[in-house]
Amino acid sequence: MIKKIEERRILYEHLDVPDINTFDVFRQYDGYTRFEKAIAEYQPDDIAKMVMDSGLKGRGGAGFSTGLKWSFVPKDIKPCYLCCNADESEPGTFSNRYVLEKNPHLLIEGILICCYAMGIETTYIYIRGEFTLGKKMLDAAIKEAYEKGYLGKDIRGTGLNVDIYSHPGAGAYICGEETGLIESLEGKRGQPRNKPPFPAVEGVFMKPTVVQNVETLCNLPFIVGNGVEWYTQMGPTYADTRSDPPTPDPNTGTKLYCISGDVNEPGVYELDLGLTCTELIEVAGGLRGEEVKAVIPGGSSAPILTHYELDTRLDFTSLTLAKSMLGSGGIIVMNETRNIVDCLLNIMKFYAHESCGQCTPCRWGTPWVRDIVQRIADGNGRKDTITRPKFGVAENGRWGDTGETEDIYEDLDLLESVANNIANVDTMTWNTICVFGIAVSWPAVSYLRKFRPEFEAAIREGKLVTLPVAEATVPPEENYAYQQRFIPKEFADL
Amino acid sequence: MSEELIQIETPFAFNEENQREFDELIGRYPIKEAAMLPTLHLAQRQAGYITPAVMKYVAEQLEVTVMKVKDVVTFYPMFFEEPVGEYVIRVCHTLPCALRDCKVVLDHLKAKLDTDIASETNLAKGTTADGKFTLMKVECLASCDVAPVIMVNDDLYKNLTPEKVDELLAKLAS
Repeated sequence: MIKKIEERRILYEHLDVPDINTFDVFRQYDGYTRFEKAIAEYQPDDIAKMVMDSGLKGRGGAGFSTGLKWSFVPKDIKPCYLCCNADESEPGTFSNRYVLEKNPHLLIEGILICCYAMGIETTYIYIRGEFTLGKKMLDAAIKEAYEKGYLGKDIRGTGLNVDIYSHPGAGAYICGEETGLIESLEGKRGQPRNKPPFPAVEGVFMKPTVVQNVETLCNLPFIVGNGVEWYTQMGPTYADTRSDPPTPDPNTGTKLYCISGDVNEPGVYELDLGLTCTELIEVAGGLRGEEVKAVIPGGSSAPILTHYELDTRLDFTSLTLAKSMLGSGGIIVMNETRNIVDCLLNIMKFYAHESCGQCTPCRWGTPWVRDIVQRIADGNGRKDTITRPKFGVAENGRWGDTGETEDIYEDLDLLESVANNIANVDTMTWNTICVFGIAVSWPAVSYLRKFRPEFEAAIREGKLVTLPVAEATVPPEENYAYQQRFIPKEFADL
Repeated sequence: MSEELIQIETPFAFNEENQREFDELIGRYPIKEAAMLPTLHLAQRQAGYITPAVMKYVAEQLEVTVMKVKDVVTFYPMFFEEPVGEYVIRVCHTLPCALRDCKVVLDHLKAKLDTDIASETNLAKGTTADGKFTLMKVECLASCDVAPVIMVNDDLYKNLTPEKVDELLAKLAS
């Protein structure tokens, strides 16, 4: 029996309340009480410890522990800055937009808690240039918070000073990368910096900087308001057995899953971390079409999942073990009518356009990969047929060379080679400054390896051929692109 | 040729309202240069596009070299160095929109406006003869649940079909 899965709305609970973007209505729904609780009942270090204990992982893409990130910030260097990353540009992701447009006070409350915990006085919200409505709503909310005495000097008589400024981007995807964002905030081209030094030590204006995604910051009021225990019961906690004794690997809390593509009701669904692809598609009104061909689990940079992998849990740990990633939680579903070569072409055009041009492998590699895929899609993919000497019973019935032939798909080997030379997906090493390189080669190589029959067919036939789902991909047993999927026992019947 | 020269030499300065906004902006950052992006947005809103005179003015205001401003302007796709139409139509064509037939919307717009798609280095190619519309393709607009989407200046239009595009264009043309 399939258990009906219901949304657990926490961040999005009051999203559809009319006028929740105004201070008064937000206040009616416990607005700013969590911040008041934080300053009344806890010391800054207590808050940092709570965040560490809650197991909150950054929701922006890397899934790095927020508490751990905060612990890297040196305490003695002031000023320290908070940059809120609202540069939501990953294809398939759109959850931050709704927070900014409908409930900006929640973000401000999250920022206040973070600032209190870290002793930060200045916050910049780097908001995507295209989010004009979001910026308008956010600016209005910031203004209101100043008027009501929740921002500015000496907040609520506690001596706490916090200023929040919104800073518009100008349409560059790479500014979503934390050091790219910092460069862009400083008024330069958004080209990522070499790490180390990490932003926690030397970030914006050469000062320690905490960079957090909108969704991560929005989790903070609820962790403070309802306690760590309440928070950790949501979502699975795995045991990381690589160390002895095993360390807990929490995937706690809810996630704003953004689901788009071939489902009946695309949208943002707030659910506990750790449900499977199949369940999520069910929640989103079911598949539009007959069969699932592929699922992109974490924005377009994430390696693709095939129909063999639909039982993969959508959380940080499980997807990493499935050689993919949760990323920003943008799930794109494709049904049986989709051509994977065509989809890859679309994504590679995106990356070729968005490469910042700083590192040579990426600047030259991304258009090269795009051109190879374009060539295959146009039906001009390069192929060679060679005669392979293979001994056996030949046509004349006698023992000898059977004259067997083999197809060599030059372009497919070239595609994998070029992509792997931007960033190698097997060794997880990259020849570029930032992780944009791996965001390019991950889709390129995973699409190719998992849907190779479709690429071969396109080259062989000289045009795009959409194969039936069963023929388009190779079973996991025959393909090294898959890795054994990991479903811990204690959560198997969740 | 002469027209171009005149354009370069037409000086630019913020109007009163923008000057006030700029003064407020500059106080937000410990270094002036950091106000680059908001200042350029402000200037573009006033001038329509970033002319050499705008770059020179912004450079003076932020106390950086003109080259540094040019450096930034060329990096970000939202800054235009050529004149654009009154309405800039940005059509999202990344995967989630592509899965929901954004090509139909784009082709319809192309046919309806009788123009090509602007490229970043040639905006005139995508601008209609009457200078009213500029049609361009952009990458993901972060509204994949309501795909296909387009942005007309600051407004987002969702779940588009050719019929809805017709309605929209009629509204804008009037």
